[in-house]
Amino acid sequence: MGPGGTVRIEVERAILQSADEAAAAIRALLSERKIFALNLISSPGSGKTTLIEALLARFDGKGGVAVVEGDIETEIDAERIRKHGVQVRQINTHTSCHIQPSRLLSVLREMDLSETRLLLVENVGNLVCPAEVPLGEDARVVLLSVTEGDEKPLKYPLVFKTSDLLVITKTDLLPYVTFDVDRVRRAARAANPAVEIFEVSATTGAGMSDLLDRIEALRAAKK
Amino acid sequence: MHELGVAGEILDVVLSEADRHAAKKVTSIRLRVGVLRSIEPENLSFLFEHLARGTAAEGAFLEIVEEPVRIECEGCGVSEARAFKCECPRCHGPNVSVTGGDSLRILTLDIED
Ligand SMILES: [Zn+2]
Repeated sequence: MGPGGTVRIEVERAILQSADEAAAAIRALLSERKIFALNLISSPGSGKTTLIEALLARFDGKGGVAVVEGDIETEIDAERIRKHGVQVRQINTHTSCHIQPSRLLSVLREMDLSETRLLLVENVGNLVCPAEVPLGEDARVVLLSVTEGDEKPLKYPLVFKTSDLLVITKTDLLPYVTFDVDRVRRAARAANPAVEIFEVSATTGAGMSDLLDRIEALRAAKK
Repeated sequence: MHELGVAGEILDVVLSEADRHAAKKVTSIRLRVGVLRSIEPENLSFLFEHLARGTAAEGAFLEIVEEPVRIECEGCGVSEARAFKCECPRCHGPNVSVTGGDSLRILTLDIED
Protein backbone atom coordinates (compact mmCIF):
# COMPACT_ATOMS: atom_id res chain seq x y z
CA MET A 1 0.00 0.00 0.00
CA GLY A 2 1.38 3.40 -0.95
CA PRO A 3 1.23 6.55 1.14
CA GLY A 4 -2.25 7.94 1.62
CA GLY A 5 -3.88 4.59 0.73
CA THR A 6 -6.76 3.04 2.60
CA VAL A 7 -6.35 -0.22 4.44
CA ARG A 8 -8.86 -2.37 6.27
CA ILE A 9 -7.82 -3.68 9.67
CA GLU A 10 -9.50 -6.51 11.53
CA VAL A 11 -10.36 -5.47 15.07
CA GLU A 12 -12.85 -8.08 16.32
CA ARG A 13 -13.19 -6.53 19.74
CA ALA A 14 -16.13 -6.36 22.07
CA ILE A 15 -17.03 -2.75 22.71
CA LEU A 16 -17.60 -3.13 26.42
CA GLN A 17 -14.21 -4.75 27.01
CA SER A 18 -13.03 -2.10 29.48
CA ALA A 19 -16.15 -2.74 31.56
CA ASP A 20 -15.46 -6.48 31.41
CA GLU A 21 -11.97 -5.92 32.76
CA ALA A 22 -13.24 -3.87 35.72
CA ALA A 23 -15.91 -6.50 36.40
CA ALA A 24 -13.23 -9.20 36.45
CA ALA A 25 -11.28 -7.17 39.03
CA ILE A 26 -14.42 -6.92 41.20
CA ARG A 27 -14.97 -10.67 40.87
CA ALA A 28 -11.41 -11.32 42.03
CA LEU A 29 -11.78 -8.97 45.01
CA LEU A 30 -15.05 -10.63 46.07
CA SER A 31 -13.75 -14.12 45.58
CA GLU A 32 -10.60 -13.48 47.62
CA ARG A 33 -12.78 -12.30 50.54
CA LYS A 34 -15.48 -14.93 50.00
CA ILE A 35 -18.14 -12.27 49.64
CA PHE A 36 -21.29 -13.23 47.75
CA ALA A 37 -22.65 -10.35 45.66
CA LEU A 38 -26.07 -9.72 44.17
CA ASN A 39 -26.72 -7.16 41.44
CA LEU A 40 -30.35 -6.02 41.69
CA ILE A 41 -31.90 -4.63 38.52
CA SER A 42 -35.41 -3.37 37.77
CA SER A 43 -37.44 -0.40 36.62
CA PRO A 44 -37.91 2.31 39.26
CA GLY A 45 -40.38 1.31 41.94
CA SER A 46 -40.32 -2.47 41.47
CA GLY A 47 -39.19 -3.22 45.01
CA LYS A 48 -35.38 -3.43 45.00
CA THR A 49 -34.98 -1.49 48.23
CA THR A 50 -37.78 -3.49 49.87
CA LEU A 51 -36.02 -6.74 48.92
CA ILE A 52 -32.78 -5.39 50.36
CA GLU A 53 -34.57 -4.63 53.65
CA ALA A 54 -35.97 -8.17 53.76
CA LEU A 55 -32.45 -9.56 53.15
CA LEU A 56 -31.04 -7.38 55.92
CA ALA A 57 -33.63 -8.82 58.32
CA ARG A 58 -32.85 -12.38 57.18
CA PHE A 59 -29.05 -12.03 57.42
CA ASP A 60 -29.11 -10.09 60.68
CA GLY A 61 -26.61 -11.76 63.00
CA LYS A 62 -25.29 -14.13 60.29
CA GLY A 63 -22.28 -12.12 59.21
CA GLY A 64 -21.98 -8.70 57.73
CA VAL A 65 -24.06 -7.33 54.90
CA ALA A 66 -22.86 -4.32 52.92
CA VAL A 67 -24.98 -2.36 50.50
CA VAL A 68 -24.06 -0.18 47.52
CA GLU A 69 -26.90 2.00 46.28
CA GLY A 70 -26.88 3.30 42.73
CA ASP A 71 -29.01 6.28 41.86
CA ILE A 72 -28.79 9.00 39.25
CA GLU A 73 -28.88 11.90 41.73
CA THR A 74 -30.45 11.20 45.14
CA GLU A 75 -29.45 9.53 48.41
CA ILE A 76 -33.02 8.58 49.36
CA ASP A 77 -32.54 4.81 49.16
CA ALA A 78 -29.17 4.92 50.91
CA GLU A 79 -30.73 6.89 53.80
CA ARG A 80 -33.48 4.28 54.05
CA ILE A 81 -30.94 1.44 54.27
CA ARG A 82 -28.58 3.32 56.60
CA LYS A 83 -31.32 3.27 59.25
CA HIS A 84 -30.78 -0.50 59.49
CA GLY A 85 -27.27 0.08 60.80
CA VAL A 86 -25.39 -1.62 57.96
CA GLN A 87 -22.53 -0.31 55.87
CA VAL A 88 -23.98 1.61 52.91
CA ARG A 89 -22.29 3.48 50.11
CA GLN A 90 -24.03 5.64 47.55
CA ILE A 91 -22.98 5.89 43.93
CA ASN A 92 -24.58 8.79 42.09
CA THR A 93 -24.22 8.07 38.41
CA HIS A 94 -25.38 11.50 37.15
CA THR A 95 -25.47 11.21 33.35
CA SER A 96 -24.99 7.44 33.31
CA CYS A 97 -28.04 5.19 33.53
CA HIS A 98 -26.22 2.27 35.17
CA ILE A 99 -23.45 1.64 37.68
CA GLN A 100 -20.06 1.51 35.96
CA PRO A 101 -17.96 -1.41 37.19
CA SER A 102 -14.89 0.85 37.46
CA ARG A 103 -16.85 3.07 39.85
CA LEU A 104 -18.07 0.12 41.92
CA LEU A 105 -14.52 -1.23 42.07
CA SER A 106 -13.15 1.99 43.53
CA VAL A 107 -16.00 2.19 46.06
CA LEU A 108 -15.38 -1.42 47.17
CA ARG A 109 -11.68 -0.67 47.58
CA GLU A 110 -12.56 2.16 49.98
CA MET A 111 -14.99 0.08 52.06
CA ASP A 112 -14.11 -2.05 55.06
CA LEU A 113 -15.22 -5.47 53.86
CA SER A 114 -13.38 -7.53 56.46
CA GLU A 115 -16.64 -8.69 58.10
CA THR A 116 -18.77 -8.67 54.95
CA ARG A 117 -20.28 -11.93 53.72
CA LEU A 118 -23.04 -10.57 51.49
CA LEU A 119 -22.84 -7.55 49.19
CA LEU A 120 -26.05 -6.12 47.77
CA VAL A 121 -25.77 -3.73 44.84
CA GLU A 122 -28.92 -1.83 43.94
CA ASN A 123 -28.47 -0.74 40.35
CA VAL A 124 -30.05 2.37 38.84
CA GLY A 125 -33.78 1.89 38.10
CA ASN A 126 -33.64 0.94 34.43
CA LEU A 127 -34.04 -2.33 32.52
CA VAL A 128 -31.84 -1.49 29.54
CA CYS A 129 -28.37 -0.24 30.45
CA PRO A 130 -27.67 -2.18 33.68
CA ALA A 131 -28.34 -5.37 31.71
CA GLU A 132 -25.38 -4.67 29.45
CA VAL A 133 -22.83 -4.02 32.14
CA PRO A 134 -21.47 -6.82 34.35
CA LEU A 135 -20.48 -5.85 37.88
CA GLY A 136 -18.63 -9.04 38.76
CA GLU A 137 -21.68 -10.24 40.71
CA ASP A 138 -22.30 -13.86 41.70
CA ALA A 139 -25.97 -13.61 40.83
CA ARG A 140 -28.01 -11.09 38.94
CA VAL A 141 -31.56 -10.54 40.11
CA VAL A 142 -34.18 -8.84 37.94
CA LEU A 143 -37.36 -7.66 39.63
CA LEU A 144 -40.60 -7.11 37.76
CA SER A 145 -43.68 -5.79 39.54
CA VAL A 146 -47.10 -6.89 38.33
CA THR A 147 -48.10 -3.24 37.90
CA GLU A 148 -45.55 -2.83 35.08
CA GLY A 149 -47.32 -5.11 32.62
CA ASP A 150 -46.42 -8.55 31.33
CA GLU A 151 -44.73 -7.38 28.12
CA LYS A 152 -41.47 -6.34 29.76
CA PRO A 153 -39.61 -9.59 28.99
CA LEU A 154 -40.54 -9.18 25.34
CA LYS A 155 -39.50 -5.54 25.26
CA TYR A 156 -36.31 -5.84 27.33
CA PRO A 157 -35.17 -9.44 26.81
CA LEU A 158 -31.48 -8.84 27.49
CA VAL A 159 -31.95 -8.29 31.22
CA PHE A 160 -34.04 -11.47 31.49
CA LYS A 161 -31.51 -13.38 29.43
CA THR A 162 -28.63 -12.32 31.68
CA SER A 163 -30.33 -12.70 35.07
CA ASP A 164 -30.08 -15.73 37.32
CA LEU A 165 -33.19 -14.94 39.35
CA LEU A 166 -36.43 -13.31 38.23
CA VAL A 167 -38.55 -11.98 41.08
CA ILE A 168 -42.12 -11.07 40.23
CA THR A 169 -43.13 -8.57 42.93
CA LYS A 170 -46.36 -7.07 44.30
CA THR A 171 -48.31 -10.26 43.53
CA ASP A 172 -50.98 -9.17 46.05
CA LEU A 173 -52.07 -6.70 43.33
CA LEU A 174 -52.70 -9.42 40.69
CA PRO A 175 -56.51 -9.27 41.08
CA TYR A 176 -56.46 -5.57 40.16
CA VAL A 177 -54.12 -5.50 37.15
CA THR A 178 -53.77 -7.15 33.75
CA PHE A 179 -50.69 -9.31 34.19
CA ASP A 180 -50.30 -12.84 32.90
CA VAL A 181 -47.72 -14.53 35.13
CA ASP A 182 -47.44 -17.52 32.78
CA ARG A 183 -46.72 -15.25 29.84
CA VAL A 184 -43.85 -13.67 31.76
CA ARG A 185 -42.54 -17.08 32.85
CA ARG A 186 -42.64 -18.34 29.25
CA ALA A 187 -40.83 -15.32 27.83
CA ALA A 188 -38.19 -15.31 30.56
CA ARG A 189 -37.55 -19.05 30.09
CA ALA A 190 -37.26 -18.64 26.31
CA ALA A 191 -34.57 -16.01 26.88
CA ASN A 192 -32.89 -17.98 29.65
CA PRO A 193 -33.92 -21.59 30.35
CA ALA A 194 -31.93 -21.59 33.60
CA VAL A 195 -33.58 -18.54 35.18
CA GLU A 196 -35.11 -19.22 38.62
CA ILE A 197 -38.47 -17.54 39.01
CA PHE A 198 -40.04 -16.38 42.28
CA GLU A 199 -43.41 -14.72 42.90
CA VAL A 200 -43.50 -12.55 45.99
CA SER A 201 -45.51 -9.96 47.83
CA ALA A 202 -43.66 -7.88 50.38
CA THR A 203 -47.05 -6.70 51.69
CA THR A 204 -48.50 -10.12 52.54
CA GLY A 205 -45.13 -11.88 52.81
CA ALA A 206 -46.21 -14.51 50.26
CA GLY A 207 -43.26 -16.20 48.58
CA MET A 208 -40.69 -14.11 50.45
CA SER A 209 -39.26 -16.89 52.57
CA ASP A 210 -38.67 -19.15 49.52
CA LEU A 211 -36.76 -16.35 47.84
CA LEU A 212 -34.73 -15.51 50.95
CA ASP A 213 -33.99 -19.22 51.53
CA ARG A 214 -32.69 -19.51 47.98
CA ILE A 215 -30.43 -16.48 48.31
CA GLU A 216 -29.16 -17.76 51.64
CA ALA A 217 -28.38 -21.12 50.03
CA LEU A 218 -26.56 -19.46 47.13
CA ARG A 219 -24.58 -17.39 49.60
CA ALA A 220 -23.68 -20.49 51.63
CA ALA A 221 -22.57 -22.35 48.50
CA LYS A 222 -19.90 -19.72 47.70
CA LYS A 223 -16.62 -21.17 48.84
CA MET B 1 -29.49 8.36 25.60
CA HIS B 2 -28.26 4.82 26.04
CA GLU B 3 -26.47 5.16 22.67
CA LEU B 4 -24.29 8.00 23.97
CA GLY B 5 -22.31 5.72 26.27
CA VAL B 6 -21.97 3.12 23.52
CA ALA B 7 -20.79 5.77 21.03
CA GLY B 8 -18.15 6.90 23.55
CA GLU B 9 -16.94 3.31 24.04
CA ILE B 10 -16.70 2.79 20.28
CA LEU B 11 -14.70 5.99 19.87
CA ASP B 12 -12.27 4.94 22.63
CA VAL B 13 -11.58 1.60 20.96
CA VAL B 14 -11.38 3.11 17.47
CA LEU B 15 -8.92 5.82 18.50
CA SER B 16 -6.66 3.41 20.34
CA GLU B 17 -6.64 1.07 17.32
CA ALA B 18 -5.99 4.01 14.98
CA ASP B 19 -3.11 5.05 17.18
CA ARG B 20 -1.67 1.54 17.24
CA HIS B 21 -1.69 1.45 13.43
CA ALA B 22 -0.39 5.03 13.13
CA ALA B 23 -3.46 5.96 11.09
CA LYS B 24 -4.07 9.60 10.22
CA LYS B 25 -7.71 9.05 9.54
CA VAL B 26 -10.40 6.45 10.09
CA THR B 27 -12.82 6.42 7.17
CA SER B 28 -15.16 3.58 8.01
CA ILE B 29 -16.06 1.45 11.03
CA ARG B 30 -17.92 -1.84 10.76
CA LEU B 31 -19.89 -2.93 13.83
CA ARG B 32 -21.88 -6.00 14.68
CA VAL B 33 -24.85 -5.08 16.85
CA GLY B 34 -27.32 -7.59 18.24
CA VAL B 35 -31.01 -6.77 18.02
CA LEU B 36 -31.30 -7.25 21.82
CA ARG B 37 -28.95 -4.32 22.48
CA SER B 38 -31.74 -1.72 22.18
CA ILE B 39 -29.61 0.41 19.88
CA GLU B 40 -31.13 2.76 17.34
CA PRO B 41 -28.56 2.84 14.48
CA GLU B 42 -29.40 6.40 13.40
CA ASN B 43 -29.11 7.70 16.92
CA LEU B 44 -25.79 5.88 17.39
CA SER B 45 -24.37 7.30 14.13
CA PHE B 46 -25.49 10.81 15.03
CA LEU B 47 -23.93 10.68 18.49
CA PHE B 48 -20.74 9.08 17.23
CA GLU B 49 -20.34 11.78 14.58
CA HIS B 50 -20.74 14.40 17.27
CA LEU B 51 -18.19 12.81 19.65
CA ALA B 52 -15.66 12.10 16.88
CA ARG B 53 -15.32 15.73 15.82
CA GLY B 54 -11.72 16.90 15.97
CA THR B 55 -10.36 13.32 16.27
CA ALA B 56 -8.88 10.91 13.74
CA ALA B 57 -12.36 9.37 13.41
CA GLU B 58 -14.05 12.61 12.37
CA GLY B 59 -16.43 11.92 9.49
CA ALA B 60 -15.97 8.14 9.69
CA PHE B 61 -18.88 6.11 8.35
CA LEU B 62 -20.49 3.70 10.81
CA GLU B 63 -21.60 0.55 9.07
CA ILE B 64 -23.88 -1.42 11.37
CA VAL B 65 -24.35 -5.12 10.68
CA GLU B 66 -27.41 -6.28 12.57
CA GLU B 67 -27.22 -9.61 14.38
CA PRO B 68 -30.61 -11.34 14.60
CA VAL B 69 -31.76 -13.67 17.36
CA ARG B 70 -31.89 -17.41 16.64
CA ILE B 71 -35.14 -19.02 17.65
CA GLU B 72 -34.83 -22.76 18.05
CA CYS B 73 -38.18 -24.54 17.98
CA GLU B 74 -38.65 -28.12 19.17
CA GLY B 75 -40.83 -28.79 16.13
CA CYS B 76 -39.30 -26.92 13.23
CA GLY B 77 -35.70 -26.09 13.95
CA VAL B 78 -34.02 -22.72 13.76
CA SER B 79 -35.44 -19.42 12.53
CA GLU B 80 -34.00 -15.93 12.75
CA ALA B 81 -35.83 -12.81 13.89
CA ARG B 82 -35.15 -9.11 14.24
CA ALA B 83 -36.77 -8.96 17.67
CA PHE B 84 -37.04 -11.24 20.67
CA LYS B 85 -40.00 -13.62 20.50
CA CYS B 86 -41.05 -16.34 22.86
CA GLU B 87 -42.86 -18.38 20.29
CA CYS B 88 -41.81 -19.97 17.03
CA PRO B 89 -42.33 -17.58 14.08
CA ARG B 90 -43.37 -20.56 11.90
CA CYS B 91 -45.64 -22.81 13.99
CA HIS B 92 -46.26 -20.39 16.90
CA GLY B 93 -45.30 -23.17 19.28
CA PRO B 94 -44.20 -22.03 22.75
CA ASN B 95 -41.32 -24.50 23.17
CA VAL B 96 -38.46 -22.38 21.92
CA SER B 97 -35.06 -21.25 23.08
CA VAL B 98 -33.73 -17.93 21.90
CA THR B 99 -30.00 -17.33 21.48
CA GLY B 100 -27.72 -14.70 19.96
CA GLY B 101 -28.68 -11.14 19.26
CA ASP B 102 -26.48 -9.72 22.00
CA SER B 103 -23.25 -8.90 20.14
CA LEU B 104 -21.71 -5.48 20.39
CA ARG B 105 -18.43 -5.71 18.49
CA ILE B 106 -16.17 -3.70 16.26
CA LEU B 107 -15.34 -5.88 13.26
CA THR B 108 -13.10 -3.80 11.02
CA LEU B 109 -11.77 -0.28 10.54
CA ASP B 110 -10.81 1.34 7.25
CA ILE B 111 -7.88 3.65 7.87
CA GLU B 112 -5.66 5.99 5.89
CA ASP B 113 -2.05 6.30 6.87
ZN1 LIG C 1 -41.97 -24.11 15.27
